[in-house]
Formats: sequence, structure tokens, C-alpha cells
Amino acid sequence: MSCLTSLTGRCFSSRWVSWPRHCSTRAGKFGAGGAGLHRLRDELNLNVNSVANTLDLRQISILLRGQVDDLSSWLARAEPARTALQLTVIVIGSGLYGAAMGAWRAPLQAGFVAIKFPLVILLTTFGTGMINGMFAPLLGLNLSFRQSARAVLMSFAIASAILGAFSPILAFLVWNSPPLTDAPANATTTHALIKLISVVAIAFAGVAANLRLYLLLRQLAGTTSAARRVLCAWLAMNLFFGSQLVWILRPFIGAPWLPVQFLRPNAFEGNFYETVLRDVTQLLSP
Amino acid sequence: MSDYNHPPPLPSASLPFSPGQPAARPPADDPADQQPIAGFVETVESLLRQPRRLMHQLRQPGRGHAISALLFMAILCALVYGLVVGTFSGGTQLWAAPVKTVVGLFFAAAICLPSLYIFACLGGSQVRLIEVAGLLAGLLALLTVLLVGFAPVAWVFSQSTKSEVAMGALHLGFFLVATCFGLRFLLSGFTRLNTRPAGLSVWTLIFVLVLLQMTTALRPLVGTADTLLPGSKEKKFFLTHWSECLRQPAPEGRQALQR
Repeated sequence: MSCLTSLTGRCFSSRWVSWPRHCSTRAGKFGAGGAGLHRLRDELNLNVNSVANTLDLRQISILLRGQVDDLSSWLARAEPARTALQLTVIVIGSGLYGAAMGAWRAPLQAGFVAIKFPLVILLTTFGTGMINGMFAPLLGLNLSFRQSARAVLMSFAIASAILGAFSPILAFLVWNSPPLTDAPANATTTHALIKLISVVAIAFAGVAANLRLYLLLRQLAGTTSAARRVLCAWLAMNLFFGSQLVWILRPFIGAPWLPVQFLRPNAFEGNFYETVLRDVTQLLSP
Repeated sequence: MSDYNHPPPLPSASLPFSPGQPAARPPADDPADQQPIAGFVETVESLLRQPRRLMHQLRQPGRGHAISALLFMAILCALVYGLVVGTFSGGTQLWAAPVKTVVGLFFAAAICLPSLYIFACLGGSQVRLIEVAGLLAGLLALLTVLLVGFAPVAWVFSQSTKSEVAMGALHLGFFLVATCFGLRFLLSGFTRLNTRPAGLSVWTLIFVLVLLQMTTALRPLVGTADTLLPGSKEKKFFLTHWSECLRQPAPEGRQALQR
């Protein structure tokens, strides 16, 4: 059996490849050098490659389940089709969620946010790609720049798929919410409610995606501590940079008392952290 | 019977990038550590993934080339990051900030090198000055390479704020993170040389303080001033300078934001 695993490598772990029933018996019968064993290996590798080289949607379920053996093999080998699929999941999933989020303010705002939300994710991935790629080997995980970027992209694809799944629920909620033309007090309350629900859904998607990423990193690093260090460093950079991008690309839901815009006129004035600091100072000042 | 449907466990070594092993801890006699390093990209790769390989090069007779490569890399990366620092104010700072970043880093390293060598000797080490210089060059190279990694993030922030304090704090944060990794490289280098300088933590403190003072001695790095460098009557300790910056009124953009 050990010979079988060494010959076929990680492809055997792919759970979407139908594992032959009584495989142990078959492997034992064929022996190490049997022609049947080679046939079996070729058959399995063929199945793996045929799915890997296409935009097979079953790969999304592998991502969501966080099947670390499969995800490890994905990291090891560059597959443009797979990367394209993950980018598509990000654009569609987060785009749909963004559209649902902005729909309450105006249809135009929904369109704007459908563009801006995926943009935040992609710009965060590319903006922090270099430093994340440097952090991984320095913190004990020997991944290349591309492998680091692929791992981060996978986690964002998971989060986007979850958000995309939540988007009909959010859209339903928005549809049932009092319209903007209502009394100003009602509009403010609705705005706050949509903001809160959006944050909760995004937080859930983020936690789920990072748990999957953590399992993958733990498998790759071999130690829990190295995986934790790398995950924390990546999370810190992505959150730090992502928050600023969200600040620049605001509005997302759109305050009821402000016009619908793609970017605010003062988008490049101030930063997210200055604003938070100012708010905290105002709260604490007598 | 249902157990037959589960695939057997797999050996982790089948992955090409052997993730089971931390990057910085290959076996001491790993032949890969003795491979010569050629080219800029390979030097960066070695610095990040195979520091032992780089340290091995620094102990070989042709170590001058390796040190030159590290210093060249440090200059180039410091220029790139300095340019990003300069984009906050634009104008003269586009060339002044990169030059000041390079000068500040190298001047700090130059004035701290003798003390590092003395500390190493006090610890009973047989290490040579050129080997210590090589490790310090590695520290500078790793520090600046990491700063380049932070550069896209720093650039986005520099385009979206007018607060010199906020930008200064951001650059300082990135600089401190990069310095920590650089110092870790230095420490592992000394471990590789089977020595640990007496009072290395004291030297580390001194080095960081010198670097921080450089940010004040070469001001303005972030923001603008009438002169390229402070006059003789404007000399001050970095903590004084920082506290004065914090007490300054908010810039127009920030005031507008507050309104």
C-alpha cells in the first residue's frame, strides 16, 4: 500500500475522484510492479487532470469543505483554469453580496457596490501579496510568493462563495425593509440594521474562510505554531490594508442623507485608522 | 466494509515544496546550503528562504561578492521604499526621501558595526570583522526587502491621508517589523558562527535607537520643510521631535474631515 501511495502521490486523496471499492485488496493483489497498478494510477491521474484543467464547479465544494490534501496539491501546481475559477467565484460571490447590500439605497448603488466589493478583495490580495509571500518563509512555512498568493486567494474564494450564498437572504431582507423614502428616523434605523447584518455575514464568512486556511497551513507547516504565526501575519496585513481600501472605496451601503456615488469626493482624505482614533477620542473626551 | 472507500494516508514529502520543514531550519550539513548564489533574484530567495545558504557564502573566501550583492540590494530596495515615502509630499521629496533613507540606514549600520564586532570579540568569538560586516549587510538587505514588500500598502496610505503623523507612524511600524526580522537574521548568523556576542541585546537596542534618531536627524522624511536637513540650532532627540509632531494642529484635510 505504501508503494501505491508513493506512486500515485496526492492524487489519491482527491475525494471527488471515485475511490475504487476494495482498493486495498486490489493493490495487494497487483503487487508493487503489477501492470494493473499502473493502469489504476494512470486512470486516477487522468481523472484528476481532466478536472483540474477545466473550470469544474466541483472544485468549489472542495474549497468549501476545506479538503486539505486536495488544497495542498492545488497549491503545489499552478493551474490557470483553477485560478480563473477562484477569481470568478470572488467576482460573482462578493459582487452579488455587494449588489444586495447596496440595493436598499438605490439600484445604481447596487451596481456600484457589485463592482467595488470584489475590487476590495482583489486589490487586498494583490497589494499584500508581496509582503505575505515574504512573511511565510520567514515565519516557518516554505511557500513561494505564488503559493502564498494562491492560498490567500483560496481563502477569499471561500469567503466570497459564502457571501454569494448569503446574498439572496440579504436581498430578501432589503426587499422587506422600509424604503428610503420613509421617515428619516426609519431610514436611519434601517440603514443601521442592514449595516449590522452585513457586518455579521462578512465576519462569519471571514472566520469560516480563515479556519479553512488555517487547516491548510497546519498541514503544510507540519506544526501548529508555524501555521498560527503565518495566519496571524497574513490576517493582520490583509485586515490592515483591506480596511483602508474599504475606507477609500466607500460608500458601500450608502448613508440615506448622502447622494449615490461611486466614490466620495473626499475618498482620498484621511484614513480608516485616523477616523477610528478620532471617534474613540470623541467618545472618551469629557 | 465501508472503510475500503477511504484512501490511504499520504506521505507529506510528495509535495514539491516540502512544506513540512520550516524554511530556516534545514540540516546543518545540507548540500543545498553550499550551493553558490548567483544573481539578484537568487540572493533575495536565499535571504528569505535559505538564510543558511547565504551565511555559508559569507564564510567562504569569495565573500566580498556576496556582501557587495547584499549591499547593492539594500541600496536598491531602500531607494524604492524611499521613493514611496517621498510620494506623500512629492516635489523635492521624490529624490530627497530615497537618498535620505539610504544614507540613514547605511550611516547607522556603519557607526554600529565596530561596536557589534567588539561585542562579538568580548563574547570570546573568533569571528572576523568582514564576517560581522556580512551579517550586518544581510540585516540591511532583509530589512529593506521587507520594506519593499510593504511598499504597495504604504503607497495606498500615502495617497489617502494628509496627516504627517499618521504616515510617520505607519512607516515607523513597517520599519520596526522589518528590523525585527533583520535582527533575527543577525542572531541566527551568529548562532551559525557558533558564537553569541556578549550583550547582543544591548547592541540591538543601540542599533534601533540610532536608526530612530536618524529619522529625526535627517528630517523631513515625511512632509516638507524649508531646508533639506535641519539646521544646527534645530537638533533634537527623536522623542522630543515626535511629541512636538503630535502636538501640532491637524492639517487642513484632517480638519475638513473632522468638520
